Amino acid sequence: MADRPRLLILTPDFPPAPGGIQVSALRYATGFSSFQTRVLTLGAPGGAAFDRDSGCSVRRVGGGRLPRAASAALLNAAALAEALAFRPHAMLCMHIVASPGAAAVRAVRGAPSVQVFHAEEIGARPRLAAFAAGDADEVIAVSEYTAGLIAATGATPASLRVIPPGVDLPRDAGPLPVERPTFVTVARLEERYKGHDVLVRALALVRAKIPDVRWVVIGDGSLRPGIEALARSYGVSDSILFLGAAGDEQRNEWLRRAQLLAMPSRLPAGGFAGEGFGIAYLEAGAYGKPVVAGNVGGALDSVADGETGLLVDPLDPVAVAGAITRLLDDGELAARLGAGGRRRAQELAWPLIVGRVEAVLLEQLRRGGGARRRTLSAPTGV
Amino acid sequence: MFAQMCGIAGRTDDPEGSAVRAMLARLRHRGPDDEGVHSDRAAGVSIGIRRLAVMDVEGGHQPMSNEDGSVWVSFNGEIYNHGKLREDLRARGHTFSTTADTEVIVHLYEEYGDELVHALEGMFALAIWDERRSRLLLARDRFGEKPLFLHDHGGELTFASELTALLEVTPQLRELDPAAIDAFFVFAYVPGPGSIVRGVRQLPPGHLLTWERGAGGSVERRWWSPGEREIAPPERFEALVAEAKRLFEDSVRTRLVADVPVGVFLSGGVDSTLVALAAAEQSSQRLQTFTIGYDVGAVNETLQARHTAEYLGSEHHELTLTREQVAERTPGLLAAMDQPLGDRALVPLNALSEFARPRVTVALGGEGSDELFGGYPRYRWLERAARAHSALPEPALAGIGGLLRGAGRLGRGEQAAARLGGAPMIERNLDWVTAERRSRRQGLYGPRLAGVARERVLDDLSARAGALDERSPVRWLMHLDQVDYLPDDVLFKTDRAGMLASLEIRTIFLNRELSEFAASVDTSVHLAGGGKALVRAMLPDGIIASRRFGGYRKTAFRVPAADWLRGPLAPVLRGQLERGAIYEEGYFDRRAVGELVREHMAQRADHSDQLWPLLSLGLWVDRFRGLDGG
Repeated sequence: MADRPRLLILTPDFPPAPGGIQVSALRYATGFSSFQTRVLTLGAPGGAAFDRDSGCSVRRVGGGRLPRAASAALLNAAALAEALAFRPHAMLCMHIVASPGAAAVRAVRGAPSVQVFHAEEIGARPRLAAFAAGDADEVIAVSEYTAGLIAATGATPASLRVIPPGVDLPRDAGPLPVERPTFVTVARLEERYKGHDVLVRALALVRAKIPDVRWVVIGDGSLRPGIEALARSYGVSDSILFLGAAGDEQRNEWLRRAQLLAMPSRLPAGGFAGEGFGIAYLEAGAYGKPVVAGNVGGALDSVADGETGLLVDPLDPVAVAGAITRLLDDGELAARLGAGGRRRAQELAWPLIVGRVEAVLLEQLRRGGGARRRTLSAPTGV
Repeated sequence: MFAQMCGIAGRTDDPEGSAVRAMLARLRHRGPDDEGVHSDRAAGVSIGIRRLAVMDVEGGHQPMSNEDGSVWVSFNGEIYNHGKLREDLRARGHTFSTTADTEVIVHLYEEYGDELVHALEGMFALAIWDERRSRLLLARDRFGEKPLFLHDHGGELTFASELTALLEVTPQLRELDPAAIDAFFVFAYVPGPGSIVRGVRQLPPGHLLTWERGAGGSVERRWWSPGEREIAPPERFEALVAEAKRLFEDSVRTRLVADVPVGVFLSGGVDSTLVALAAAEQSSQRLQTFTIGYDVGAVNETLQARHTAEYLGSEHHELTLTREQVAERTPGLLAAMDQPLGDRALVPLNALSEFARPRVTVALGGEGSDELFGGYPRYRWLERAARAHSALPEPALAGIGGLLRGAGRLGRGEQAAARLGGAPMIERNLDWVTAERRSRRQGLYGPRLAGVARERVLDDLSARAGALDERSPVRWLMHLDQVDYLPDDVLFKTDRAGMLASLEIRTIFLNRELSEFAASVDTSVHLAGGGKALVRAMLPDGIIASRRFGGYRKTAFRVPAADWLRGPLAPVLRGQLERGAIYEEGYFDRRAVGELVREHMAQRADHSDQLWPLLSLGLWVDRFRGLDGG
């Protein structure tokens, strides 16, 4: 197996830390059978133990209490060292903060680089995003929405494909009994755009129709005290169960119990990007559960309105409440949309997605992308 | 959308509606164009409304009912999201026969019951009579923009938009509440949920009340309250500004009326400038701006306002309120309040409303910005004082306070912070906002107020503020202002000043989403760089001309009250002292107040902080005493 081409995955985000990018990076690291893969990422509590168990080849640098910018700088510097030590034939860069490192390795090694774009990072650092998109041999956008964000930076990627993140198909997706009408939200409580505030407002109206309704909030973060305070403002605290950062097993159980998942992500103001794709919608679909999502951004790619869920104005609590109530009230509709969600999840199961990304990387190798050694042109101050 | 300015009233033991009609007659100024009463004779319940049709309100006659006449609504206010609600209700199969937003309320009640309030974005006081359930629902908006006074009597309930209307049909209620007068002197407004008349209370902001005969009378509950706890997520300031701007612009958009001239009162400060800027951008018509100046004193904000108007390209109007006009209109205005109000800005706000009314139908206001976004300088000073207090032992603090005062180089705020350093936070805040009237009561009160427990005003304020818990002192004070000063002074003033001139004033900052957002941002963000950081960051560079014009002014419409009291209002003040009921009846000590007046007139001191509330109260009580005679 030693003759397989070597692939370096550059990613600031990697398990055991939770999150969508982390999961994707792990799937790629463990899923590409045509490559000998190494992951270069940041140090994290529990990282060494995780890496031992995962069976991946992982190198970790920095991390810990270092500021994110300093960690990114360290990661980029380490990429060059890794270029010499690991001598990769290709690179998969999971976040634009590692793109200067990818560019450097590409210049030194002539290895083609494939850059993945999500969404949030493009709005936050448009100049770096433009650089990363322009420099990579191939760009993968997780949604059409993300592709639009890349175009808005003015960058003209050599090649761009839309490949969403994948989803795990559970072995046991059957519903579990639940004593109260329940809807669930799965998202870290770090970003306002996920719409927890609108769900509190909506909950007050849902309760008018379904008095024993319960909203299960899975995820933790700095927004939580504010959302709890908002719930007190509306007098709806007793209808909410804050579970905190639940493990996968607990999350999956709630996806089996709940009638639906609601996450009305909106577009943040000021050009900040918001939901790139919304993997949570697919995960709910994998359990045959319909979703309520905002009719903007990446959710348009992940949710088919009237087929896998209901898309509504994410800023309008009346509309959000109406959609939630409808799905709680109408079991037939919920079942039909849930079945649609299940089919959609099957189409985007991880093995299929890993295969699509792997094919992109192999094609780059075949084409000899990255062979043209370019002068490093990372912009200053990015 | 169209504006409806109204007054509502109702009574549960009024089968013919005669008492309700009598109350409505007293609310005529709130709605001169139309009157409606619905009586459920079997239940004995009547609800009614006086309505001012500002624009085409065909089919807007109220009270309005559903198709089968089982639900009746009297509604005062404005629902800014009624278009969206109408769409949503239509999709659920409701049919509409008018374009009035009151009809939306009818169907929302059918859909959500009491919880309909959560669907409403806007200002309102409403009454819904559900004939099938023989049940009355009253509700008041989140911030208390629209008023609602209540009187319970033997299991029955009477309610009205204004206190005076309610008193019209309750002749037994003529006793002033000494505790409320005490609170009025301290605060210069009557704090809710009580009123100045014994037996009358207010439905607090964000509350609803249900009444069923024989079911224990009225039951009140809170349905919304301003956020009490900030969060400190690691967010970029630019992202917060962007979010604030989006919410602010949304708020302006929903409050603009298509094809109707819109006005903004420019004080030259940050809030009105920002409101005007957004309105100019979004309005289909050329924005009208208005500002006020005076022919006395050093207070003049017209220059900055003119500069702002030039920047905006608005059609700008200036009013100079002369001494003669002040003499002519002020006594009547102060007496015409349904509850006394000692906020001197009432005078210019009402004059501006009258001045603007022939030119515009709706004015947009910046009320609430200081309370929501941390605009008052005392927030910063009190926070510093609290920090100093927690860091140093008491004797050291007293010593520092003395040194600071002795240094004589401090501004008013610094001096006050130093002086108040050792007192509990609530007292420090109280003495700050009330210009220390609390400590001056002793010498000015007459025998009728002698029995009022001096600490009661403090206890009541503490009760309204709630426990400090995990809140920062500043968040706690901001919350207190939002549930107390904002509804009972600022919004009372805005409602009455506008209503008396038949002008509707729509507040931009008092928007549910915007206020909840503001509450979720850490106070250190709000207070950075002189306070109201997010609001200031929303303004484009250069629009506030320079410090020369006062820079970022903290108070809108400053008033030369001291000059007025020495000049145009001196005769009224002296007349009050000679014949006023508050002295005749022994609430205040004529001699002691007389001494204050003499010192003020002789320019030996500026006592306007005490004399203005006394004048407002005195004129109001005189009218109240004459109420029975009409």
